[in-house]
Amino acid sequence: MAESLNKGWMDNPTRRTPLNTFKIAIIATLCALSIGTNYALIGVSNIKFMDFIVFFGGFCFGSTVGASIGVLSWLIYGLINPLGFVPQVWVATMFAESIYGLVGGVIGTKLRSSSFQGQRLRASVFFATVGFLPTVLYDLVTNIVYAFSFNVPLVVAVFTGAPMTVLHEVANAAIFGVCTVPLISVLGRNIMRQRICPS
Amino acid sequence: MSFLRNKWILIALLTLCWAIATSFLAGYYYLQYNDLSAKVRGVIISASLGIDYGNGSGIIWHNETRMNAGSTLLNLTKLVAHVNYTKSLSGASIDAIDGVSNSYPSWWMWWSSSTNGWVLGSVACDRYVVGENETLLWYFQDITTYPPTPPP
Repeated sequence: MAESLNKGWMDNPTRRTPLNTFKIAIIATLCALSIGTNYALIGVSNIKFMDFIVFFGGFCFGSTVGASIGVLSWLIYGLINPLGFVPQVWVATMFAESIYGLVGGVIGTKLRSSSFQGQRLRASVFFATVGFLPTVLYDLVTNIVYAFSFNVPLVVAVFTGAPMTVLHEVANAAIFGVCTVPLISVLGRNIMRQRICPS
Repeated sequence: MSFLRNKWILIALLTLCWAIATSFLAGYYYLQYNDLSAKVRGVIISASLGIDYGNGSGIIWHNETRMNAGSTLLNLTKLVAHVNYTKSLSGASIDAIDGVSNSYPSWWMWWSSSTNGWVLGSVACDRYVVGENETLLWYFQDITTYPPTPPP
């Protein structure tokens, strides 16, 4: 039964199937990777690979898997966070992080099987903007929740942290722009052919 | 990926990202500016203002004139002289100082003193915030040539 479910999902990753071993393994592995990279980069503010890993999970394995990676990563990272724990902000970041997975899933549905031959630069620029724009939404959501949690005026909360917000957006644009096309190309050549991430 | 062939989509996306980033930074600097001006409100600074009426009597100096930090050149001028001016979108333009009115080819121009000599004012006098110990000059001068001749 499990084998047939597994095979069915591999043939069509976007098909609605219950969580199976393969999906759970992917979610757990990418969660571990994103949490690990976040701890490794704890000393570097707002430059993290977590957002990209969540996006990548969504891109290759669908919105549900991507969003789950986002929520679960922050569920763990937020609880054991060396920078502190604020329940409201924690819940907000948990769900805001899933934006990357959802966006990855939507874009992946359209582009998962695309070849970037001859337009790698344009594709990189496109993915850089894809990294930038959800980050704006993520930062807005978390800043709004922070403002309400600490009774800070909304405008002050949004704009006082603007340099860090812009750094986060630019860093994500750079990471998405540089990493997405090569990673997807490698997966297309090697892994998708083995039907782990079907095209 | 066919949409990537249209370069205007990418340009539009990049412009959108740039607009968002610069808007955030503009908001940040606006808040910082307001915060700083609130902190220095009430602090007294002094500056020197000279007025050359262009009648050969030379520059009349008002040295170490005291004013609130954040005051503009227009505020400083009003402290030492009788000023007529007109406000517009680009700022206040001086019509007359102590009864000496603009009359082509002579016009009121303002200059600031720097280590390289006099520098012609580049903004309206109500847009220029005077700094501590700064030296400024109103010069009623011939403007038929541009840039105008610096004060002697």
